[in-house]
Amino acid sequence: MIKVEQVYKTYINKHRNFLFFSETRQTEAVCGVDLYVNPGEIVGLLGMNGAGKTTLIKMMSTLLSPTSGTITIDGMDVVKDALKVKSIVNMIAGGERMLYFRLTGRQNLEYFGNLYGLRGSLLKDRINYLLSKVGLEKAADTPVERYSKGMKQRLQIARGLINDPKYLFLDEPTLGLDVSVAKRLREFVQELVHREGKGIVLTSHYLEEIEELCDRVYIANNGRIIMHDTPKNLVFNITHGNVLNIVVPEINDKLNNNLRTLIELHNANIEISSNEEGILISIKSKKDITTEVVQTIYNSNVNLISLYIEKPKLEDAILQLENGVA
Amino acid sequence: MKNLMTIFMAEFKKSHFLYFHTNMIYFSLLVWPIILFFSAYYSFKPFDTKSENVLSEYVSNQEIGSFLLIGYLGYIFYFSLMQSAFQMAPERARGTLELIFLSPVSRLAVIYGRAMANLLEGVWLFFVFTVLGLFFFGDIQPHNWWGIPLSLFLLIISAVVWGGFLNAIFLFSRDAGFFFLIIQEPLLLFSGVRIPIPVLPIWGKFISYLFPLSYVLLIYREIVMRGASLFEVSTMIYSLLVVIIVFILLTSWIIRKAEKNSKINGSMALY
Ligand SMILES: Nc1ncnc2c1ncn2[C@@H]1O[C@H](COP(=O)(O)OP(=O)(O)OP(=O)(O)O)[C@@H](O)[C@H]1O
Ligand SMILES: [Mg+2]
Repeated sequence: MIKVEQVYKTYINKHRNFLFFSETRQTEAVCGVDLYVNPGEIVGLLGMNGAGKTTLIKMMSTLLSPTSGTITIDGMDVVKDALKVKSIVNMIAGGERMLYFRLTGRQNLEYFGNLYGLRGSLLKDRINYLLSKVGLEKAADTPVERYSKGMKQRLQIARGLINDPKYLFLDEPTLGLDVSVAKRLREFVQELVHREGKGIVLTSHYLEEIEELCDRVYIANNGRIIMHDTPKNLVFNITHGNVLNIVVPEINDKLNNNLRTLIELHNANIEISSNEEGILISIKSKKDITTEVVQTIYNSNVNLISLYIEKPKLEDAILQLENGVA
Repeated sequence: MKNLMTIFMAEFKKSHFLYFHTNMIYFSLLVWPIILFFSAYYSFKPFDTKSENVLSEYVSNQEIGSFLLIGYLGYIFYFSLMQSAFQMAPERARGTLELIFLSPVSRLAVIYGRAMANLLEGVWLFFVFTVLGLFFFGDIQPHNWWGIPLSLFLLIISAVVWGGFLNAIFLFSRDAGFFFLIIQEPLLLFSGVRIPIPVLPIWGKFISYLFPLSYVLLIYREIVMRGASLFEVSTMIYSLLVVIIVFILLTSWIIRKAEKNSKINGSMALY
């Protein structure tokens, strides 16, 4: 289990102004974060640019040490037992860097495998397995500089799995991938977690991805965790449930009165506007009151032109939350 | 040990495909040192070393050829490692440096593996040239059959240790290129590549003994040109070993310090 307790990270950089005059600048990237990740679980880390997600991931993967607080992975401290932690974690970042472009895909994997002390037929088998998993068997012996962006990203994924890590950190792994490649990647991630029991921390700006994959989500803002829940609950709690849209040709007094009563009863919100079909009634409520609303319309002798339910997205939740925070 | 060998081979293969992928590179690695050598050779020629010249006390006229050949062989060994250290910069820019530090690999093994790999790739051609040159037009006295392999061994070890040191400095600062440009001329001047150390002023001698190359060249020339016995060069060999150990300790300290530093401000990822 990954345990992050009261972790702070302040970057201290020297900033040179002119010749030998310099000042130190401090950036508080992470402020008092607590979080945990169990094996067999995908945890999402969400937040705007600069929220501190990458910093947090780098601390968990031993590349950065916390300014204060502790991070342990299966009981081992990421600072004191860094070498032991390194052999059971790995990190994959989005983008096209972090590979040797003049080497082939296979040579890249061989090199990184060697860094983890893997060699011989064990390494060979592992590489073949990973290449087929990410669909790069045919391109295995082509130099990486001739790969497309998606192929490089897939090689990146294979690289991150070379040491068969127990915990994997994915920092925007689907950055710039096309829809079908991103989908295959998501399926692969799910397989890693559910079949192999790995623990995964995922950051992404694609909210559907987080919604689809993550068991739990942490939302970070300015280095703090401002919310932690399942994706479903987050959406529900922040956006106050579904929006029911109904189009009717007219609103008579009876309907008006009945609707108002219903709205008050369920503590819902109502908005009325008109569109090309007729009059649009949007009702936002925590509880699903579709049946009651339809009943009311029917009882008021009004025809129903159309009805559709708008489910709020995590995206809406985040925007709302960040507006609230700001 | 097996792990060390794996890392060494990994670095060897990597640098082979990254930097030594065309014959052009081998060609320039041979032609460039040969040009250096001849330019030094012919700039000494006009000076008459038979007369009262200070140089003549240490190098006779016929010896200049082999004196310079050995000097440049050593220099090229050291120089090719400077090249390998320069390759740290793209490693940092690519982000692969961060990945190396993400893994549990022994940092010292990577550093020395890189140095060794680049050394072997970078110098073998000029090495062949030197050996042929020494036999055909040098005035060498290999009294002891072990002389040449021993001095070559010392040269390789000391060059790898030197290369590891330069690599480690590059870990510490992304602007280390400056340092290398500054250190290159003194290395050529003070380690006795072209000019025998005894003719240097006292402060120059002091600088000389900071470079492991100075000791190696002294030993090499004593053994190969003068046919000195192991006993005669033993003090020099011990001094060289001390310098090598100091450099290894320093290198390992720099690596640890650099990694610790990068964990504070994330500098491994900056470029
Ligand atoms: N090496 C560094 N030195 C100084 N400040 C840094 C460094 N790296 C990041 N920061 C700062 O720390 C804060 C958090 O950055 P971080 O990269 O963790 O954000 P993020 O959540 O990953 O953002 P994004 O979504 O854009 O990737 C930012 O204010 C950033 O400017
Ligand atoms: Mg980031």
